Amino acid sequence: MKNYTYAWRNLWRNRRRTFITAASIFFAVFFALIMRSLQLGTYDYMFKNIIESYSGYIQVQNPEFWEDKVVDNTMLPDEDLISTLKADKNVLELIPRFESFALASSGSRTKGVMIMGINPEKENLLSDVKNKLVKYRLTEAAIDSLTREDIPRNTLRNLKLFSGSSYSGDGKLQTELGIRDKDTSHIMPLFRKHAGVQNGYFSQDSQGALVGNRLAQYLGLSRGDTIVLLGQGYHGTTAAGKYAIDGIVRLPAPDLDNKIVYLPVTRCQELYNAPGRLTALVLHIKDNSDRAIEQTVERLMSRIDSTYRLMGWKEMNDTIVNQMDADNKSGMIMIGILYLVIAFGVFGTVLMMTAERRREMGVLISIGMRKSKMAIIMLYEMLLIGIMGIMSGVAVSLPVIIYGYHHPIVFSSKMAKMWEDYGFEPVMAFQWIDTYFIWQSLVVAIIVLIAAMYPVFRIYRLKEVEALKA
Amino acid sequence: MKVLELKNVHKVYNTTQVEVHAVNSVTLDFDQGEFAAIVGPSGSGKTTLLNMIGGLDKPSQGQILVNGTDLTRLKSSELIDFRLYNIGFVFQSYNLIPVLTAKENVEFIMNLQKWPREKRDRRTRELLEAVGLADRMNSRPAQMSGGQQQRVAVARALASKPKFILADEPTANLDTRSTENLLDIMETLNKNENMTFIFATHDPRVMKKAHRVITLEDGKVIEDRKKQ
Repeated sequence: MKNYTYAWRNLWRNRRRTFITAASIFFAVFFALIMRSLQLGTYDYMFKNIIESYSGYIQVQNPEFWEDKVVDNTMLPDEDLISTLKADKNVLELIPRFESFALASSGSRTKGVMIMGINPEKENLLSDVKNKLVKYRLTEAAIDSLTREDIPRNTLRNLKLFSGSSYSGDGKLQTELGIRDKDTSHIMPLFRKHAGVQNGYFSQDSQGALVGNRLAQYLGLSRGDTIVLLGQGYHGTTAAGKYAIDGIVRLPAPDLDNKIVYLPVTRCQELYNAPGRLTALVLHIKDNSDRAIEQTVERLMSRIDSTYRLMGWKEMNDTIVNQMDADNKSGMIMIGILYLVIAFGVFGTVLMMTAERRREMGVLISIGMRKSKMAIIMLYEMLLIGIMGIMSGVAVSLPVIIYGYHHPIVFSSKMAKMWEDYGFEPVMAFQWIDTYFIWQSLVVAIIVLIAAMYPVFRIYRLKEVEALKA
Repeated sequence: MKVLELKNVHKVYNTTQVEVHAVNSVTLDFDQGEFAAIVGPSGSGKTTLLNMIGGLDKPSQGQILVNGTDLTRLKSSELIDFRLYNIGFVFQSYNLIPVLTAKENVEFIMNLQKWPREKRDRRTRELLEAVGLADRMNSRPAQMSGGQQQRVAVARALASKPKFILADEPTANLDTRSTENLLDIMETLNKNENMTFIFATHDPRVMKKAHRVITLEDGKVIEDRKKQ
């Protein structure tokens, strides 16, 4: 009889115990995978928001600009640079940016803002500003009008909760306000009527500006209003301009939404008296995996001269990357605690298994079974329990994660409000199946193997005569 | 031909207060094909002596030679292999492997010795027929009576044709009928296979069947009687 057949039969001597142990491993793997997928997925979602609303994956800048973001540290990209960048196999398009700061005022209110000069067409390849234009705003007047309409009670309750909120799409509005699918055909026309916002995008030749939704609310701006910008231009000149509001955009990153003013890049260059100059060229790339980004940066660094600097998104967003890293570590500690609990559970089983079979071990060694063979059988038993637990944990978590990846958890009502108040998008996304599946399974397998060392140790220390008396 | 020799064997247990001489200066030898019983009251040292003969325990002093090999000089791992190829064990509480069938239990030692399947099957059938359990080949220990389990244990002990069989109180848990049946089987196997049997027992039914009775008292051999 093969060792594994014997081990397999031994497992079923005490079915309940085997099931309980395998179940504890199953739950450890299942929860660890779900937790890990949610954690990594949510980081990815946040990074994606920041990258796609602001930094992009790779930027080319003046080497001085990152440390001292003044207009004097802008760059004048030459033909060589443009052609080198465009010739790279991972680069699809170059997106120009002119980024600076100014004091913005409207009426009696003033605020320090970020000015972002963009190419309105090319920018949509990355940050898709056009689709972030606000479509609905829940002003008090809009809520008053909506409450007079025939609207389900829970939606009415949520309307008050989200008073003042703006939405750039129907989906988010429906989720946050808890509008059910069957009610959309009846309710959405009412929202368009009472809370709809007239909004528009701008073109390269436009004289207008787009402002972030939170900033617009602070300055009391709506489409057609005027914003005055005052700052310092190139070589100490005064940058001053007056722009009509073409549209209001809602950015997912609340911090950015609170300070962004978009201008067409040429208007921005005019404002800062820096014609042709840019603060950055953002590379729109084909493959945005970490490895591809690193390779692209490395490749391009060797091809462009030192008057330019290439920066990857991690370098540009080091604060948030570090925050997420710290959060990631705390998540790993949580998983570690989960594993510790499971390890004790598995070890308990191993202790019982070893204690109650001591006599049998004594008999088998007495009749001539080598201790190494017996140790292998015990290892097989633990491995089989481990494999059952791990495989079932992976098998059950797979569909949950696949579903979650395609359908992120979008919080609604109070929960959504709370997340937004903390400055986060109320979304928990799952990460696609990745190496964390292997790592989590491997860790559990190692725990099981470590627990299995106990019977092995006991077998090698076993004295036949004493064991036979057990 | 001598299959087993014990020369001035002692076993002393050092407890915290006193030294206990479980086996005291025992010198014995056994010929091939003997059917011997070591008898004596509880605590007389029967099981200790049997354990030392089986290489499960080491004497404090003396030599135990099996076909000229001194067991006291073998390392633990060598003793395991030695037992596998030379000694068969029958225990008081049968000690069959509960997850294996009668057939698999009998095959177990042949498996450890890596016998070819065909030879193994033939020997298993032969032994289970000899102990009258050919029809219970696929039964697990829990599905058999105590007597049947002990007969499987005897078949297991005999399976790989060891030099001798050590049986420690093999009939202690059996009723009279099962005991007589088991002893008849062992006696037959002793005759047919010329297998040496050494029992540790205080069961008079075993003593009656044994061809040689060695009596121990306080660890010493006080009588060694061979029947005609």
